Amino acid sequence: MGRPASYRMLMFSVAAVAGWLTLWAWLTRDGGPVPALYFPPPEDVLNRFWRMWTRPYIGSTLWQHILSSLYIVLTGWAAAAVVGIPLGIAMAWWSKLKWIVFPIFQIIRPVPPLAWIPLTILWLGIGDVARMSVVFIAALVPWLMNSMLAVYSVDKLLIDAAKALGASDRQILTRVVCRTALPTLVAAARMALGSAWSTLVAAEILAATAGLGYVAVNASQLLDTDVLIVAMIMIGILGIALTALIELSQRILAPWSLQAERRG
Amino acid sequence: MAPKLELRNITKWFGSEDTGICAVDDCTLNVDQGDFICVVGPSGCGKSTLMTIGAGLEEPTRGDVLIDGRPAGPPGPRRSVVFQKFALFPSETVEQNIKFGLQMTGVAREEQERRLIEQLKIMGLEQFRKAYPSELSGGMQQRVAIARALVMRPEILLMDEPFGALDAQTRTILQEEVQRLHREQHYTVLFITHSVEEAVYLGDRVIVMTRRPGRIKKEMTLPRDAIWKQGDIEAAAELPDFIEARREIWALVREEITAGQVI
Amino acid sequence: MIDAVLARMGVVSNRGKSVAYGALSIAVLLIAWFLSTSVFQLIEPRVLPSPPEVVQKYIWHIVEPFSGLTLWGHILASLERWGWGVFFGMIVGIPVGVFFAWAPWFRTIVNPIFELLHFIPPFAYIPLAVLWFGASTATQAMVVFIAAFPAFVINSQLGVSQVEKIYVDAARVFGANQFAILRRVVIPAAAPSIYTGLRISISNGWMALVGAELVVGKVGLGFMISQGQENASVSTIFVGLITIGCLGVLIDTLVQRSERYVLPWRKNVAVNLG
Repeated sequence: MGRPASYRMLMFSVAAVAGWLTLWAWLTRDGGPVPALYFPPPEDVLNRFWRMWTRPYIGSTLWQHILSSLYIVLTGWAAAAVVGIPLGIAMAWWSKLKWIVFPIFQIIRPVPPLAWIPLTILWLGIGDVARMSVVFIAALVPWLMNSMLAVYSVDKLLIDAAKALGASDRQILTRVVCRTALPTLVAAARMALGSAWSTLVAAEILAATAGLGYVAVNASQLLDTDVLIVAMIMIGILGIALTALIELSQRILAPWSLQAERRG
Repeated sequence: MAPKLELRNITKWFGSEDTGICAVDDCTLNVDQGDFICVVGPSGCGKSTLMTIGAGLEEPTRGDVLIDGRPAGPPGPRRSVVFQKFALFPSETVEQNIKFGLQMTGVAREEQERRLIEQLKIMGLEQFRKAYPSELSGGMQQRVAIARALVMRPEILLMDEPFGALDAQTRTILQEEVQRLHREQHYTVLFITHSVEEAVYLGDRVIVMTRRPGRIKKEMTLPRDAIWKQGDIEAAAELPDFIEARREIWALVREEITAGQVI
Repeated sequence: MIDAVLARMGVVSNRGKSVAYGALSIAVLLIAWFLSTSVFQLIEPRVLPSPPEVVQKYIWHIVEPFSGLTLWGHILASLERWGWGVFFGMIVGIPVGVFFAWAPWFRTIVNPIFELLHFIPPFAYIPLAVLWFGASTATQAMVVFIAAFPAFVINSQLGVSQVEKIYVDAARVFGANQFAILRRVVIPAAAPSIYTGLRISISNGWMALVGAELVVGKVGLGFMISQGQENASVSTIFVGLITIGCLGVLIDTLVQRSERYVLPWRKNVAVNLG
């Protein structure tokens, strides 16, 4: 029943996108109301994209800049997962640990992760490690908070049922809690990656020698608006691709959770 | 003389006519001036749909809604509705809720105030004038909803299972109050309910509907000056005439419920 | 062991114990910081200043102008830019969100662009804002706007689309036109969700502001931090971080508290006199 309707919606959306592109081209045409310095026409952006793909811009090709960004964001994100998930689960499981560690997090949490950038630059220089650690801070809070939440969201009845069936504490943790908490963990992964990605962009604007944020800030200083738009679009596309990858992994790891996610 | 409210050959389909659901099938219903009509039927029989069509909130697939013999058109101040779940605007106080319709139809300020005070008094709501619905009990909320409908001085009052969401004691008290209001002020009422007892106690005529698609199964006229209408519902339940009428109507409703279960 | 000590002090409830453990943990952290810097001088002040130094610096910033302004001046500059951005995010975002829910065709047209732009983090707009407006208040406000705007749109849309049909029916029965339904039924019903949007927007905007100030500008808390980095003064950075964190908490608390005054019907105290 919903199929023809959603198909029609899709066609409508495609038409809308085409309309927006046309509007962009019309506004920025030669002698149009928006000069190319403020917003370049689509063909300039496409040309520039191709040039950046084939020839280096400020030291690297577009592909190398992308790889640099991805390398930092994924390392920081994964390192945060390695620390955040076990710590979060342990904090939810042993309340004493939570009482000790949680207040420290509560103090640090209100400070936006990117505000740590100047400090990491002072302490660690402008190398990869500085950016990785900022990304790490940005990703750690969502990982940790949601891992805790994941354990709390496990139905108490399930734990009682496992206990009644003779499971030990450890068995309950590994068999019941970790499995039923999986969907929340996937949500944690997505939120952590979102936070990591946006913080990385800020970090690259402030201190980097490669990466998309670095490209963007240089383009801005050199008034290469077309380069800037290419960089922004690539940042957006990579954000979408990373989110899609996590959703794909959710489909594979925890297919039962998809329906509930969408409603919520 | 044309009936006050007339539903003529109403048919309502949800969705298209071959794949959708037929909620109401060719129902004709006349409500005369001063009549209290109760519609009973098994749940899901389309009686609420009939009410929303009567109120003008939904268009019938076929058939006409007439007031005084003329097409009724969109909802308006001639018809007021009391909804099952009160539908009081949660962000407005009792006063604002009751004045809502008056403001929408452009009644003068002094007149609004006068009618508000009158209604607050009738429904015993004076001290709750500035309260929000969430601060009131269910019974009080429904009083506000009734006041909001009556303050419009409607020609027709439509009530959609108004006491369905209340506890038993509150329901009894409000039933008696509605009975008293009708006796004293002669409102024209179309009242939807699933309670046979309520229908017999309140109605001058009781209309029994079939299970879906809803058709009119039987129409029964009860004596307008029946003795049970003078007293409260507890006393009524002991009168032989009342018991007989209730038994007869319940048998008709029961037929529909059990027939539905076979399918 | 700690439990035994606490029990002797009369602290047995879980709530009391959690507070005690938390205080203990923070105290240990502060003492370790104090010992490693002031007392044993294990860490150079250039890398990590001692607690007294930070406190001293904090007072210094309150009294003495830094890059032309005292701490209050920087706070006010930040708040002003942030306020403009959130304000514009609100007056544009709420109507767009309401219209999204009210007119599905509009949503279908705008949504693809909205989604695409939403996936670009606000910080990525900083270079563009700089290019358009230079180092002005408008640059910062634009970045805040971009960070604040989507939450307004998403939450007002959600709020409006969740309004129960029965309220709209009731309003129609009593003769309300489309505008009256929107003003007296739909908007108030969507208000709690819009308020959630406000909270998210405010915190997103605050974060984006700090980012924007780190990159451009001559005043503001983010600028203070970046100057701290230039001057290799970790204590100035600390002053900035603490102020940003405290203001963030303060603003969020104020907004949360204000909800009951702005939406008084949400008090929800059942008097139950019927």
